[in-house]
Amino acid sequence: MTARPAAVAALAAGVLIAVAGLAQAQNEADALGWLRKIHDATQKLSYTGTFVYQQGGRTEASRITRYARADGDIEKLEVLDGAPMEIVRTRDTVKCYLPGSRVVKVDRRSVERGFPALLPGQLSGIAQYYTVSLGETKRVAGFDCQAVALTPKDELRYGYRLCADTNTGMLLKAVTLDSAGQAVEQFTFTQLSIGYVSRDKVRPRHSARAWRVEDTGAAPANLAEAGWSVNVELPGFRKVIELKRRLGESRPAGQLVYSDGLAAVSVFIESLEGRPEPVRPGLASMGAINIYTREVANHVVTVVGEAPAMSVQRLADAVEFRKPQ
Amino acid sequence: MKQKISMMVDGELDEGAAEETFKSLARGGEALNAWRTYHLISDAMRESRLLSRDFAARVADRLSSEPTVLAPGRLARGGERGKWFALSAAASVAAVALVGWLAFAPQPGLDAVPVAQAPQSAPAPVAKQPAIVPLPAAAHDYLLAHQGYSPRVSLQGMAAYVRSVSDEVPAEARK
Repeated sequence: MTARPAAVAALAAGVLIAVAGLAQAQNEADALGWLRKIHDATQKLSYTGTFVYQQGGRTEASRITRYARADGDIEKLEVLDGAPMEIVRTRDTVKCYLPGSRVVKVDRRSVERGFPALLPGQLSGIAQYYTVSLGETKRVAGFDCQAVALTPKDELRYGYRLCADTNTGMLLKAVTLDSAGQAVEQFTFTQLSIGYVSRDKVRPRHSARAWRVEDTGAAPANLAEAGWSVNVELPGFRKVIELKRRLGESRPAGQLVYSDGLAAVSVFIESLEGRPEPVRPGLASMGAINIYTREVANHVVTVVGEAPAMSVQRLADAVEFRKPQ
Repeated sequence: MKQKISMMVDGELDEGAAEETFKSLARGGEALNAWRTYHLISDAMRESRLLSRDFAARVADRLSSEPTVLAPGRLARGGERGKWFALSAAASVAAVALVGWLAFAPQPGLDAVPVAQAPQSAPAPVAKQPAIVPLPAAAHDYLLAHQGYSPRVSLQGMAAYVRSVSDEVPAEARK
C-alpha cells in the first residue's frame, strides 16, 4: 500500500512531462507560424514609419516607406541622422544615393534571383539551429505585439528577440543578442502607420543626374573555376549564391554568400594588384556585423556578416587558392 | 584593492586572492575601513539589522580581557559533530548522484546539431585571437553588397540596410 502514493506521483510527473513536451512543441510550431507571418507582412504591406537603430554607442533614426502593388513593390530607406543616405529598392534594382559624395551606387539583379525569401523548407531549417519560442505580448510604438525568441543552439550564430504587431505581423522591434545574452544591436519602430502610401513617398529625393554612377555589374559566377575553394565546417550555413561584381568605383571582386536561413555571411575576394592602401588583416566589428580580413595568394579575402566573430573568422580561414590546371 | 575587498565581502574571491586581501586588511588603515563599509552596505542590502557601531571595538576589548587558553579541553560535543559529518557526507553522495544523472541524461538538441567535423585536409584551426583592426575603408561597399542577400531583408525589408552606414564616414574621408 505504501508504494501507491509514489506510483501515483510518478505517473503524475510523467503526465506533466509529456504535457510540457507537447506544449513546448506546440509553442515552437506557433512561433514558426509567427516567423512566417512576419515574413508575409514584410512582402505585402504598405507602410511608412520611423525606426531607431542602436549599436554600441551609436543611435540613429531612419524613415522607411514601402509602397506595395501587384507588379512589384518599391521601398525607400532614408537615414535621418548624421550623413544623409537614401536607398530605393524596386523589384530588380537597389540604388543607394550618397549626396555627400554625389555618388549613386546601383545593384541590379534578375527577378528570378530576387531577394531572399523565407521558404517553408527554410523555416524547419531554422528550427534545427535555433530554439524558437513565443514570448509575451507587449506594446511597441503604440501597437500590441507578440514576442518571438530565437535562441541559437550553438555559438556560431546570434540570438534574436523579435516583436511583431499582433494584427498584421509587421516586425516592430528586433534585438540581436550575443552568447552572453547582451544586445549587440537593436531596431525599434518609434512611429508607424500601416496602410495606404502614395507613390510619391517612395520616389528618390535626388535626381542624381550629374552624380557619379557606380554600377556593381553583379552576375552569377563560378569561383572554383578560378581556383578558389571554401571548405568550411560551419554547421547550418549553406552557400546560397556565388557572384562576380564590382565594389566601389571599379574594383572587381568575387562574392560567395553563406546563410543558415536567418543570418548571412559574405566572402569577398579581390586582387591585391593596383590596390592603393595596404591590407590590415584582422577583425573589425560594428554591432552585429563582424568583418574579418586576411591575405590569400596575392588577394585580399574579406568576410562580412551578421554572425559572431568565430563564424566569420572560420569562414575566412577556410578560403584557399589552388592554381587551376 | 577596494574592488577585491568588495568581492571578498560577496564571497567572490578565490582562496589565493582572499589571503592576500586578508593580509592587507591586517595592516589596517584604509583597507580595513573599506572592509567595514562594504559589510555595512552588504548588511543594508540584505536588510539585516545593523550592529552597533562600536561592536567590533567591544568584542576586541572583551577578547583581550579573556585569559588565553593554551591547551583547550576536548570538546564534549563530538557526537553531535559526527552526526553532521554523516549528514553532509550523505548530501555529497546525493549531489554526486544528481550531477552524474544530469551528465548522462540525453541532452536535448545535441542530436539535431551535427558535431563540427574538421575537414580531413586542413584541421579547423583553434580560433586564435585575431588582431582588432578598424573597419576597412570599403566597409560601406561590402555591407551594401552583402545586405541584399541577408534573410533579414525578408523579415524587416530595407531596414536591415541601415547597417551599411559605416560610421557616417564617407569612404573618401577615411584616408
